[in-house]
Amino acid sequence: MNSAMSPRAKSTRSRIIRYQGVIKRYGDFQALSGVDLDVHAGEVVCLIGPSGSGKSTLLRCTNGLESIDGGSIEFEGAHLSRDERTLRAMRQRMGMVFQSFELFPHLTAVENVAEGPRTVLGKSRAEAAERASAMLAKVGLADKAPNHPAALSGGQQQRVAIARALAMEPDVMLFDEPTSALDPETIGEVLNVMKALADEGMTMVVVTHEMTFARRVGDWVAVFDVGRIVEQGPPQQIFEAPTTERTRDFLSHLGWNG
Amino acid sequence: MTFDWSVVWQHRDALAAGTLTTILLTVATMAIAVPCGIVVAILRLYAWRPIAALTTAYVELFRNLPLILVVYWAFYVLPIMTGLGLSPLVTGLAALALNVTAYNAETFRAGINSIRRGQLDAAMALGMSRTQALRRVVLPQALRRILPVLASTWVSLFKDTSLVSVIAVTELAYVAMQIRAQTFRVLEMLTALAAIYWLLGYPQAKLVDWMQRRFAVTE
Repeated sequence: MNSAMSPRAKSTRSRIIRYQGVIKRYGDFQALSGVDLDVHAGEVVCLIGPSGSGKSTLLRCTNGLESIDGGSIEFEGAHLSRDERTLRAMRQRMGMVFQSFELFPHLTAVENVAEGPRTVLGKSRAEAAERASAMLAKVGLADKAPNHPAALSGGQQQRVAIARALAMEPDVMLFDEPTSALDPETIGEVLNVMKALADEGMTMVVVTHEMTFARRVGDWVAVFDVGRIVEQGPPQQIFEAPTTERTRDFLSHLGWNG
Repeated sequence: MTFDWSVVWQHRDALAAGTLTTILLTVATMAIAVPCGIVVAILRLYAWRPIAALTTAYVELFRNLPLILVVYWAFYVLPIMTGLGLSPLVTGLAALALNVTAYNAETFRAGINSIRRGQLDAAMALGMSRTQALRRVVLPQALRRILPVLASTWVSLFKDTSLVSVIAVTELAYVAMQIRAQTFRVLEMLTALAAIYWLLGYPQAKLVDWMQRRFAVTE
């Protein structure tokens, strides 16, 4: 937890991601209009805000699934490249978890997790399978290894997806609304896995509507509105003493009472 | 009217040989048209624009020409184009492959397009190249999804091979027509022909149904 004395406890650690004046347009629509944000090693940074405010877009720009139209994104000291090969090398160090899981339906759970090490890292079949089993065990799904995604619950699928991203041994994990497509009763199991990851010191950027998670697990919270960050700070500030009207407004619409 | 079914039995060797040619033609055509169809579909979807336009032109041309016309065209044009005296069998195979490749390309393209964007995103996010993502994630799913369409193409093709009889390929239909001409046993030969096509075609269709169930992917 953050201490009240030090508003950004981990800010002295190395900066892993730096967004500066990031702009993204889709035709006439400006999805991001100048976003500035830093992510330090070991931090959990939560991006919150209404739907369509640009949170997910920023996340998708982080690993180059979307290109940016202005500003810059630095990852581990290097600008995000437009060159496919360099971009691919960067993506390998950023794990991504999607709202709709996006497990590969033709592969079993363990094959899904082994796919990255096998195809991208060129590990042997045995080595990839071994790592995949270890990652499935880590998310508590060792017994589901031979199952296809269709045979798993939403929460289980998302945990396999987390294991799949972890199998690449990334430096950062990007979560794009990881619990938004889940039944309420399976949200907890996914958040628990994410909390455990955070406790291990994983650097995480999390787009979420789970305010309890942002408050308890987040080290830093950024509030988005119409393509900008309207306020950022430690969770205590955002949830207990927001400095902007827009943050108060957003939280009150969620029925959040501080 | 009297029937003389013995004519069928008497010519059993020729009919068997014709049947074998028909099966061979079907298998060989698909063996060419499946991989070529995948390549054409990928070129049409992802290649440099002029190449993509070229493949589109090919697909739209051969998909919209009557197969029998392509067969005749191959018979007269291929020898001029290649300078080779190709056998009727090879010519017929070329015509069928040109036609079915165009169909398969469209089937594969639809299959690839039916895989949602998020799957490609997930593969790319792992650090895969576009080619790896296509080979490891998109194509395997697309193939399973279009298996029923490929299967019905197969069954149609099995029957359509009879069209190459017009350039004297000694497949089942050609052989049966020859026997008919020699013996004047028209109804007997046509009935036998129908029976052979059906007896061979029906189990294929059933086999395909089974494959569909066996390899189905549920999401």
